[in-house]
Amino acid sequence: MMEFSEIFFKYKDLISIAVYGTAIMLIIIGLYGVLLKKHLVKIAIGLSIMDSGINLLFVAVGYIQNGTAPIFSPGHEGDVAKMVDPVPQALVLTAIVIGFAVTALALSLIIRLYKHHHTANIDQINSLKW
Amino acid sequence: MVISPVHYIVAPLLAAFAIALLAKIYKNAARLVPGIVLFYNIIVSLVLMPQVLEKGMISEVIAGWKAPWGINLVLTPFSAFLATSVSVIGFAIWLYGYKFKVRLKGGEVKYYEILQMMMIAGSLGVIITGDLFNMFVFIEIVGITAYSLTAFYRGRDGAEASFKYLLIGSLASTFLLLGILIIYTQTGTLNMAQIAERMPMVPQTMKITALIFFLIALGIEAEMFPMNGWAPDAYSQAPSPTSAVFAAVVSVAGVYALIRVTFTLFDVEGIHQYLIVMGFVTMLVAEISAVAQANLKRMLAYSSLGQMGLVLIAFGIGSHLAVFGAIFLMLNHAVIKALLFMSGSYFIYNSEDKRLVGLNGIHKRLPFVSAIFSIAAFAIVGFPPFSGFWSKFYILIAAGDKNMIILIIGILMVTIIELVYYLRTVARIYFYKDEVEHTEHRPSINAIISMSFMTLFIIVIGVYPDLISGYLHQAADSLLDKANYIQHILK
Repeated sequence: MMEFSEIFFKYKDLISIAVYGTAIMLIIIGLYGVLLKKHLVKIAIGLSIMDSGINLLFVAVGYIQNGTAPIFSPGHEGDVAKMVDPVPQALVLTAIVIGFAVTALALSLIIRLYKHHHTANIDQINSLKW
Repeated sequence: MVISPVHYIVAPLLAAFAIALLAKIYKNAARLVPGIVLFYNIIVSLVLMPQVLEKGMISEVIAGWKAPWGINLVLTPFSAFLATSVSVIGFAIWLYGYKFKVRLKGGEVKYYEILQMMMIAGSLGVIITGDLFNMFVFIEIVGITAYSLTAFYRGRDGAEASFKYLLIGSLASTFLLLGILIIYTQTGTLNMAQIAERMPMVPQTMKITALIFFLIALGIEAEMFPMNGWAPDAYSQAPSPTSAVFAAVVSVAGVYALIRVTFTLFDVEGIHQYLIVMGFVTMLVAEISAVAQANLKRMLAYSSLGQMGLVLIAFGIGSHLAVFGAIFLMLNHAVIKALLFMSGSYFIYNSEDKRLVGLNGIHKRLPFVSAIFSIAAFAIVGFPPFSGFWSKFYILIAAGDKNMIILIIGILMVTIIELVYYLRTVARIYFYKDEVEHTEHRPSINAIISMSFMTLFIIVIGVYPDLISGYLHQAADSLLDKANYIQHILK
C-alpha cells in the first residue's frame, strides 16, 4: 500500500493539470449558466461559479510544488525560491470580496424583479428593448 | 499640508463614508458634503496641474514601497487633464442636482450621495492609477455603484436595466481578470510601466490572447460596439444627474482605461486599425439607433455612444493631431452631453412621460432651458461658434493628413444622421404646437447657474480654443511618449 503522500508526489503533474482543468471547467460552466439559463437565480449562480473558477486559476498560477508559505522566519531565509507567490493570493482576496458584492447586488435585484413581474424567467421580463 | 494626487481619490472616498455619519448629526450634510469635496478636488487640480505641466509627470508612491513593488499613482498631463475635467464637471452636476435631491425622500438623499461620490472616486481612481490590478478594483467600484444607481428609482424598469448592466459588467470583470492573469504570468508584474517595459519579451500568442480579453472587458466599459447594449437602458433609467455623470465621468474613465491599456501596455500591430473600424461601427450603429428613439434620454444615450465611437476612431488614427482631437472631443462630450442631460431632464419633469412628443412647443413654458438645450445640441453636432466644432474639425484634419478619405466621408455622413435627430428635437421644441395642459416645474436657481456656467464654457472655448489647446497638446504628447512614461516611473 502506498501512502497518500507518495501517490501525491508520483502524480504531481497530473494534479496540477487537474487544478488548471477544474478552474477552466468552472469558468466554462459559469459562462454556460450566465449565457444560456433562463432563470434569474441560475444566472446569478453562474456568475458566482465563474468567479470561483477565476479565483482558483489565480491561486494555481502562484502555486509551487512543495512550496512554503511566503513568510520570512528565522532559519528559513534561503527558501525564497521555494515560497509560493503571494501576489495572486492577495489579488484573489480582493476578487472574492468584489464577487461577493456583485452577487449580493444581483440577488437583491432579482428579488425586486420578481416582486414586479411575478416571474423569474428572463424571457418574460422584457419591458425595455435591447 | 502637501497636496498630492492621492487626494483625488481619498477625498471623495472619505466623504462617501463620512456622509452616512454626518447625516445623522445634521440633516443637510448629505447634500452639502459632496459639493465641498468636489470643490476641494478642483483646488487639488489647480495646484497639481502647473506642477504636472512643468515636470511632465508626477508619480506618487503609496505606503512607502517604490514602484514597481508598491502601488503607484501616476499623474501624466493626459490623466491630470481628465481628472481636472471630471472634478469640475462633477462639481457642476452636484450644483445642478442640489435642489433635485430635495424632492427625494429624506433617507434616500443619503444613499444617492454616497453612491454618487463612490462612483466619482472610482472614476478618478481609474484615471490616475499606475497599477493594472488597482485599475480593475476601481473599475469594479464604478461598476457596482453604477448598477445601484441605475436601480435607484424602485420601479421595475430600473431593476431590469440594472440587472442587464450587472450581467454584462460581471462578464467584463471576468475577462479583465483573465487578461490581468495572463499578463501577470508572462511579465511577473502588475505595474503598468514595468509591464510596458517587459512586453516586447512576451510571446506573440500570449500577447494577442491577453489583448483580446482586455479589448472585450474594457470595450464594455468604454461603450464600444457590440457590447454597449447596457448603456441606453442604464442612462435612461438612472436619475437625471446620474445620467449626466455616466456621460461625463464614467464613459471618460472607460475610454481612458481602454486607451491606456492599448497604447501604453501593448505594442501589437493592427490595434489602430481595429480601433478605427470598431469606432466607426459603434458610431454608425449608435447614431442610426438614435434616430429611431422615441424617448429623449435613450436618444441622448445613443448619441453618447456615437461620440465615444468617434473618440475611438480619433485615437485609432494615432497621429499627434488625432490624439489632440480625441482628448478635445472627450472634454467636449463630457461638458456638452452632461448639459444635454441636465436641460433635457427638465423637459422630462414637465411632460407626462419621457417621450419626445412631450417636447412639443415647450419653449413657451421653459424658454431658458430650451435655449440651453438647443445650444448644446448644435454644439455636439459641431456647428462653428461652439467648442464641438473644433474637436470634430481637428479629427477630420488628422484623418486627411493620413489620406483616409473614406473615413472622412463616413464621419461626415454620420454627422448628417446626427444632425437629423438633433434638429428634429430642436424643431419640436420651437415650432410644434403644444396641445396638452401640463404641470410646470421651473428650473431652480442653482440649476440655472450650473447650466449657464457650462454653456459659457462651450461658447468661450468655441471662440478661443487656444485657451486650452496648450494643455491638450501636452496631454497628447504624454500619451504618445511611451518611453518617457516607463522611464519616469522606474527610474
